[in-house]
Amino acid sequence: MIGAAPLWLSIFFSLHIVMVNLGIGLAWLVPYFKYMADKRNDKDLEITARELMRFYAATYGLAGVFGTAFTVFLLSYYPRFIGAAGHIASVPFAIAVTAIGVQFFSIVAFWYGWDRFSKRTLYIIGGFLALSALLIPFGFRAVFAFLNIPAGLEATLTPSGIKWGLNLVAALKNPTFAPLYIKSIAGAFTLTFVVVLSIYLYRGLTSSNDDIKERSLKIAKIMSEPSIIGLAIMPVLGLWYGLSLENIPYKFNNIFAPLGLKVGDGIAYYNVGWLFIIKLIFYAIQVIGVLAAIRFLQKGSKSIKALSLLFLVTAALAMGTVASGELLNAYSQYPFFIASWPNVMTGSISLSTLVHKYGVVVYPHSLNSIRELVNYINSFVLIDGSSSARGVILRLTRKGLDPAFLDLSLNSVNRIAVTKGVIVLTTLFVSVLIFFAAWLLKTAITPKGELYS
Amino acid sequence: MSIPSWSSYPLPGLRALSFIGIEVHWAILQYVLGLPFMTFIALLIYLRTKNGKWKRIAKTLTKGFIILFAVGAATGTASEFGLVLLWPNLTEAAGRYIYFPLYAEIFAFMMEVIFIYLLWYGWNRFSDKALVAISFFAFLGAWYSAAMILSVNSFMQGPPGLKPAFVPGPHPKYLYSEGYPRLTVAVPLDILHLLNVTKLLSLGVNVVTHNGKPLTVGLTVSGVKTKALVITMPVSIVQELVREGFKGFLLKDSVLVKANLINSTEIKVLAKNPYELHRLITIINAYQYVPATYLEGTSTTLDPQQLGQVLLNIPVKNYLDPILMSTVKYFGYATITFKSPDYVPTLMHAIGSALVVSSFTAFAGFSLRLLRSKDLDEDYRDYLRKALVYTAVFAAIAIFYQGFISGHEMGVAVAHYNPEKFAAIEGTSAHFKSIAGVLHLHGITKLLAYGSMRYSLPNYDKIPPHYCQCKLTGYPSYDCRPPLMIDYTYYGMVFLGIIIGIYGLIVGLIALRDRSVLIDKLLGIFRINSYIWKEPLARKILSLSLFMAFLAQLSSTLGWVTREVGRKPWTIYGMMTVDVASSTNKVVHETGPLVAIALFYISLLLVLIITAYKILWKSSERR
Repeated sequence: MIGAAPLWLSIFFSLHIVMVNLGIGLAWLVPYFKYMADKRNDKDLEITARELMRFYAATYGLAGVFGTAFTVFLLSYYPRFIGAAGHIASVPFAIAVTAIGVQFFSIVAFWYGWDRFSKRTLYIIGGFLALSALLIPFGFRAVFAFLNIPAGLEATLTPSGIKWGLNLVAALKNPTFAPLYIKSIAGAFTLTFVVVLSIYLYRGLTSSNDDIKERSLKIAKIMSEPSIIGLAIMPVLGLWYGLSLENIPYKFNNIFAPLGLKVGDGIAYYNVGWLFIIKLIFYAIQVIGVLAAIRFLQKGSKSIKALSLLFLVTAALAMGTVASGELLNAYSQYPFFIASWPNVMTGSISLSTLVHKYGVVVYPHSLNSIRELVNYINSFVLIDGSSSARGVILRLTRKGLDPAFLDLSLNSVNRIAVTKGVIVLTTLFVSVLIFFAAWLLKTAITPKGELYS
Repeated sequence: MSIPSWSSYPLPGLRALSFIGIEVHWAILQYVLGLPFMTFIALLIYLRTKNGKWKRIAKTLTKGFIILFAVGAATGTASEFGLVLLWPNLTEAAGRYIYFPLYAEIFAFMMEVIFIYLLWYGWNRFSDKALVAISFFAFLGAWYSAAMILSVNSFMQGPPGLKPAFVPGPHPKYLYSEGYPRLTVAVPLDILHLLNVTKLLSLGVNVVTHNGKPLTVGLTVSGVKTKALVITMPVSIVQELVREGFKGFLLKDSVLVKANLINSTEIKVLAKNPYELHRLITIINAYQYVPATYLEGTSTTLDPQQLGQVLLNIPVKNYLDPILMSTVKYFGYATITFKSPDYVPTLMHAIGSALVVSSFTAFAGFSLRLLRSKDLDEDYRDYLRKALVYTAVFAAIAIFYQGFISGHEMGVAVAHYNPEKFAAIEGTSAHFKSIAGVLHLHGITKLLAYGSMRYSLPNYDKIPPHYCQCKLTGYPSYDCRPPLMIDYTYYGMVFLGIIIGIYGLIVGLIALRDRSVLIDKLLGIFRINSYIWKEPLARKILSLSLFMAFLAQLSSTLGWVTREVGRKPWTIYGMMTVDVASSTNKVVHETGPLVAIALFYISLLLVLIITAYKILWKSSERR
């Protein structure tokens, strides 16, 4: 059951990435609300900051669980890839992991010190919280950019094996890194703003408690402006990232060629234009939702039911936009771990471009060394050997891709990790756990005394 | 003779960093293993007695592990990334060959998260019976998680099919000169044909027989149905092949070529048989190294010399992978780690350690609260007394189990399957002053390990220092025996265990006062038979509780150090040495980043201790 590997990874990665994005936004929003609450002596902001902090702690924990699950699944399905990533990407991973540690303890300290520490101390901890939230994606996005173009890769070939390295400066100069990182941060903030806006509006519309109603609408009002600004910025940043993908014709065409925008041979070998359209639709509904929210906050409305439903949908689609964007980024390079690799193998990105433009260095400097390295990378670069992947490879062979990829794809997934028994067991277990997780969430959010009374 | 010390093995910096990371994780997760079980038992007692104090005890214990679980999850993530970054080859091997327990552990982790938080959020919302059920799944999730991870660690200590080099007895045999220790390996016949079998047999490879015939098994490798011959191979050869495979050697640079182990006749056969060649290339998954024309089946005869060159330029890993995969399938890909002879004792001992540490720490918390709080109302005092009795009895039972049952089983497993480690633990070298030797403990050790005092312990000096070295390449050049320093760590663990054992016995007896005449008489001997918790001596005993909890942690740490350092120079016994497991990225080997990360970890641990103290102790003090 080869296709099961990307399927499970997609599910766990989507859940992980949505939580992580909310976490980035909340890491800034909570300290900001707390600061403003203290400055203006505003109780509403204080209560909201506490509410959001509780939600943040829960999402941080869940993001960790799904992230760990994703990593272990990745290791089980693609051990060679993980092994190579461990050798090469030590520094960006180390940045991310260190920041995860700082963030964890900042969360604990911020939460514990809320009423106990001096305001100054608390704001400093809030600063660590916010900073670490930016550093985690800095490390991980450097890895993602490397998976677009292996910029900065260093390899020394010796008779006693390959020694790996990464030139960090060249890696950060990767043309896809800056747009990807900045777009990710802006996306995380926009998602958080829109979700907070929508949820508080929903609560404001549906709550029977006047205090809660008033406070919720007040918070929604604060969030409405940043939400629409975020939504306005996102297409610009999306365009920037999209343009940077021109350096990787394979990936660019898979997304944009079906929509008429083409580079290189202009062929979409694995068409994911539909996912881009879905993302745009999600985005458009979000814009409608946020505009409706602004209008409602300014002028009010009588269609409470319809609006509350719209705001719920807006929150859900904000998360859906992030998930679909991430899947789009991943699927558009399917079935290759390194997006530019099919272009390298078919000659549309020359080896000298890799060397001179992207800082890839192979020692000793010889054609033979490069050939040996390329062969080595070929051995773990494929994601799976499902029929759709083989179809893509077959079409690429007509453009000059080594036909060996067809055979290599047969064993690109660790077969013992995708046996029928393991997949059935996984499905059963995850289903049962999702049931209990839903029960947990219901228990956690229901006020005391209203459950099982 | 120089005593091989811990730092004489490769990469002491990386190992120290891993030690700090994993020790921080282990120190925390022992509570996640122990406290939920104690909560479950307390809730069961509450269900039976309907005394609300028991529910309160359970709630306090739950509060403890909720905080620690969150931190444990964070340190676990950091440890996981640490393994990937510092030991990528080990990580890759684990993911490829023994992935199943790691994969299954994820579900355990999710189970833990859900039920531990369900217990917390649902405390005032569920019925008592539901709480008992949830606490059952909470501790089960933690134990299930431990069962999976420890199976991987056990595999690393002693893979199934391991044939040790020491045969115990009154006149023990040392089989190192006969190619022991050996590992059982299944080699696909397609690959075996490429090798010079006669030469292999002369290097100490043995064929496993069944009913007098060579044992072969049918299995599928890389999608090709084949047969594999089951053999036992000296670890000196296995580790060399694994080293060459994971370091990225090409076959032409391998010991297989240097020692003329390649069967050139078979290459000529393959040159004439495209079908067989295609089959071999599929099994070793090496299409990108072979010209497409070789595989089309159109050319009936290839130039054997050219084909030989092609095969020589394929990485060793491609040849090694089907051998390791066949071996894994021979033992069962989902069960191989659980078949380690080390597994059951390890699981018993690790859970025992967690119960000891958790119960002594909980006992310390309750006893300090009782000692330091003034003007307690009678209700609260009664709750504390109950909690003290519970945790004291629990600690006494746990330390008894740990010392006499699981500890014994663990020791027997080490004695039989890791004789080199056993020799180092006992410090049986004439050039080393061991604790066991000074205290004349070898006799009792023989009795415990082998059931007879007439048996002999493995002599460290009789173990060849280079038993794991591949003679053809001279690798590894360092001493293959574990460092003798583990004699100190092991006996440090034992003596600390005895101290906390005696302490546990005393507090356990005190807790059971008035419940048995025998116990009361015993307490009389110590003059602590009046109202115990108020008596000065008893108060002195209680005031030691925090120190005892610290000793329990220290003892547990020393046990882990003995286990892990005692495995050196292996990362996976008989297969992979530490330097092979490590990253080749130069950044990882620089001192500055290593020290910085180590300091970062230590500071995290300090923050955790302060946080736990403030949240668990200070907040309840205010109340």
